[in-house]
Amino acid sequence: MSVDVTGVDRETLVRPIQTFTKRYLAALAVAFGLIGVWLFFYVQQLQHGLIVTNLADWGSGGGVPWGLYIGAFIWWVGIAHGGIILSAAVRLLGMDTYQPVARLAELLTIAALTCAGVFILIHVGRPDRLVTSVLPAWPTRVQWSPLMWDVTVITAYFVLTATYLALTIRYDVHRLRDRLPNVLEPVYRVITVGYTEKEDQVVERMVWWIAFAIIIMAPLLLHGGVIPWLFSLLPSMAGWHGGVQGPSFLSIALTSAVSGIIIISAAFRYAYGWDELIPDTVFQGLAKWLGFFSLIFLWLQLQQVITGIFAAPTTLQHATEVKIATPLYWVAIGLVALAMLYAFATSLRPELYDIRVLVGMSVAVLFGTLAEKVLFVVEGLQHAHFDLYAGVPGAYIPSPVEISAVLGTVGIVVLFFLVVSKVIPVVELHAIEDHEEVDA
Amino acid sequence: MSTDDESMYATPDEEHRRLLEETGYDADLGMEMARDAQKVSAGDLSEVEFYRRYHDRILEEFDVDDREVDLPDPDEVDSGDVNAIDRIEGAFEGIGETLRGVDGDESESRRSVMKKGAAAAALGLGGLGSAGATTGGDDGAAGAGGGDDGEGTRWGMTINLNNCDGCLACMVACDQEHNLSEGANWMYVFAFEDEGQGEQENFLPRTCQHCTDSPCTKVCPVGARHTREEDGLVLTDYDICIGCRYCEVSCPYGVNYFQWGEPDVPESEIDDDHQIDDRGRWVGSRPPEGVMGKCTFCVDRQDGQMGEEKVGTTACEEACTMDAIHFGDLNDPESPPNQHLEEYRSGQENDLEEFPNRKEHTVSTFKLMEERGTEPNVQFIGNEPSPHAEQVEGPVAYEDMGITDNRKEVLDRGADGGEEA
Repeated sequence: MSVDVTGVDRETLVRPIQTFTKRYLAALAVAFGLIGVWLFFYVQQLQHGLIVTNLADWGSGGGVPWGLYIGAFIWWVGIAHGGIILSAAVRLLGMDTYQPVARLAELLTIAALTCAGVFILIHVGRPDRLVTSVLPAWPTRVQWSPLMWDVTVITAYFVLTATYLALTIRYDVHRLRDRLPNVLEPVYRVITVGYTEKEDQVVERMVWWIAFAIIIMAPLLLHGGVIPWLFSLLPSMAGWHGGVQGPSFLSIALTSAVSGIIIISAAFRYAYGWDELIPDTVFQGLAKWLGFFSLIFLWLQLQQVITGIFAAPTTLQHATEVKIATPLYWVAIGLVALAMLYAFATSLRPELYDIRVLVGMSVAVLFGTLAEKVLFVVEGLQHAHFDLYAGVPGAYIPSPVEISAVLGTVGIVVLFFLVVSKVIPVVELHAIEDHEEVDA
Repeated sequence: MSTDDESMYATPDEEHRRLLEETGYDADLGMEMARDAQKVSAGDLSEVEFYRRYHDRILEEFDVDDREVDLPDPDEVDSGDVNAIDRIEGAFEGIGETLRGVDGDESESRRSVMKKGAAAAALGLGGLGSAGATTGGDDGAAGAGGGDDGEGTRWGMTINLNNCDGCLACMVACDQEHNLSEGANWMYVFAFEDEGQGEQENFLPRTCQHCTDSPCTKVCPVGARHTREEDGLVLTDYDICIGCRYCEVSCPYGVNYFQWGEPDVPESEIDDDHQIDDRGRWVGSRPPEGVMGKCTFCVDRQDGQMGEEKVGTTACEEACTMDAIHFGDLNDPESPPNQHLEEYRSGQENDLEEFPNRKEHTVSTFKLMEERGTEPNVQFIGNEPSPHAEQVEGPVAYEDMGITDNRKEVLDRGADGGEEA
C-alpha cells in the first residue's frame, strides 16, 4: 500500500525554509507567549522554592511530594520514545509510506526529550546541583538508583537520536544546498563537515544499526523498563507495583507519540500546503496505528483494574478502587477509547476519515495520556501501604506554577519546530526521491 | 554452577564430614543443619523454622541450645537474614576455626568464612552469591557498615507502646532540638484505634526507622541519603542532596520532610557542631531550602557534640517521662533498648513450671512494615496497628503542644506565610 510521493519536487520540500509568512510570525508569538507565561511563574519558584507548587510531604504532611512535574516528565519522555520507535521502525522495516513523517518523528523526539529534561530541572529542589552532585555520584549510584539509571538511558537516547538525525541530515543538506539560505552557510558547513558522497552507503548502514539499537532499547530499557521501574520497584506505594507497568508505560508512550506525530505532520501539511508530500494515506495509516496502540493501552489498563479489585491485597485493592472512582481517570480512558473507536471506524468506512477530526482525536489522546500519567503518580502516592496517617491520602491539585510549565514545554516544542523547519528540510529527500534518482 | 565456583569453595562432602566428626559431636546433625542453614541464607527457610527443626536434637546432643542467644524473637525474624550460619557455630563450638582452614583466607570475616565453609561442607556447592546479595543495597561509598552483622555500633530503638501515653513531649523536644520548620514532624506520635484492640486509644511514636536495608539510600541518585558506616545511621548529606524527593517516595513509613521553602530557623542561628558530623559532612539539624530532611537519631549527640553524657541518647528519649523510648546500640546486649526488652519480657508473668510447653516470652514485639524488607532498627513492644487501624485525636492535641499536624496547611499559606510562621 506504499504511497508514491516521488512526484513531489524539491521546491516543495524546502518550502518552509524559503517562505516567511505572517502566520509563521503568529505561531512564533504563540510559542514565545507560552514560554513567557511559564517563565513568569517559574521565576517565583526560583525565588521562593518549591513551596509555590501545591506539592507537600506524604504521611503526616497531608500531600504528595511528586505531582504534575513528574507526570508531565513521563508524558514527554513517552512521546519522545514513541516518536523515535516509530521512526526507527520505518527505517528497519522499510515502511516507506511513513517516510515523509519519519524526520518529524525524530525531531519530535529531540524536542520532547528536551521538555522532559526541563521537568527534571524544575522538579528538583536544588537545580543548581544537577551537575555538581550527579556527575561525581554517577559511577557508584547508577547501579542502584532507578532515577540515575533513568537519566542515563535518556541521555543515551538523546545522543542516539541526535546522531541519527545528524547523519541523515548531511545527505539532504549537501544535495539541497543550492536551495538553502546563504545566511545559514556556517550552520550548513558545520552540518556537512567532511561530507563526501562516498559516505552515504556507510551512513545508511550506521543508521540501520542505530535504529536497531533504538528498537531493542525501547522496550527493555526505556519506556518499557527504566521509567516504569522508577515506580514499580519501590516497596512503599501499592498502586505502583507490578510487572504490568512496563508494557503499560510503553503502550501509553506509543499512543501519545502517534498522536503527537499526527498533530505535527498535519500542522506542516496545513501550513505549507503539503497535501501531496504528506498525503492522506499517511494519516490513515497513522490512524490505524493510533487505534491499535490505544487498544493495547486500554487492554493493559483493564488488566490493572481487574487484578487490582478482584481479591487483591488490601492496599492495592483500595488504591484501585479509588482509581476507578476518580472521574478524571474515566475521562482519560474515555478519550483514548473514543480515539480508538474513531480510528477503527475510519479503516472500516474510509468516508468517515477527516484529518481535522483525526487531529482533534490526537489532541484528546494527548490530554488523556497526560491525565493518566499524572493520576498514576499522584494517586500512587496517595495510597501508601502504610496509611495510618490521617494525612493519607494527601490532597493535590496542581498550582498555576505547575500548570504553566506544561504550557511552557508545549511552547518549547512549537518553537523548536518553527526554528528547525527554517534551517533544515523537515521531510527527508528520500521521501520524494530514491537514492538512484538523487545520485543521477 | 560452574566448575570454577566449585574449585573455589567446595571440597568433597567426606572432607567436611570428617571435620565435623573431629568435633566429637553428631556429624549427621551438623551436615543437616548446614544444608538447612544454606536454605535460610537463600531465603527458602525461615530462621524460626530452622530454630524449631533442630531445637530438640541440639538439646539432646549438647544439653543446651546456645542458638537462643543469637536468635531474635520469632515475631521479628527476617527470613532474608544471612546470619543463619552463626547458629551452627553456636552449636558446634570451635568448628569455625577448623573450617577456616578450608578456605584459607585469614583476611575474610569470620562470618563469611563460616558461610562458605558450612555451605561447602553440607552441599559441596559454591556460588553463595545469592545469599550474599541479600545484604546488598549500598555501594562502597555509602555502605551499610553499621548493619545487622553484630559488629560495631548499630544505633536503634525499642519503643514500648504500652508505656506511651500520647503526651507528645517527644515531638516537641525533637522539633526544638533540630530547629524544624512548622509541620516537619521528624518524630510523630499517632493515636489510633484498631479493630479488636478495644475502644481504647493506642499510641505509636514514629521516628525514622533507620533501616539496615533502607529503600531511601538505594534510590537516592546522588548518594546524599546514605547509611553511616560507623553506626548504621541513615543520614542525608545536605551539601549533595538535589531535592528530587525520591527517598521520600520510596520510604514505606513517610518519615521524610522536604524543605519546601525557607526554613523557619535561619542558618545563622544554628551551631555548626549540631550540623556537621564527625566525618565533616553536613547531616545534622534541619535541612536548608530545597533539600530533604528526616530524623537523624540525633547524630550530633551520637558524635559527642553535646557532651559525652549525651552519646547514646536522643532528644525524644530524654523528653519521654513514660519510659517508652529506649535508644542505644542494638549490637550491645547491655544497651537500653536490649535491656528494656529483656526486663520487660522477664517482668511478664509466665509460669513455665506449670506450663513447660509455653514459649519463654509472652510479650508481643514488632517492627513496622517488616514485610517490606527494610530491616528497621526500631522495634516496638505492644500491638502492631492493623491495616484497618485509624488515626484518631489523642488525649493531647498537636496544637496544644504548639505542633502542626498537617503540614500542607502551612505550605498552602505560601512563601510569605511560611516566613511569618
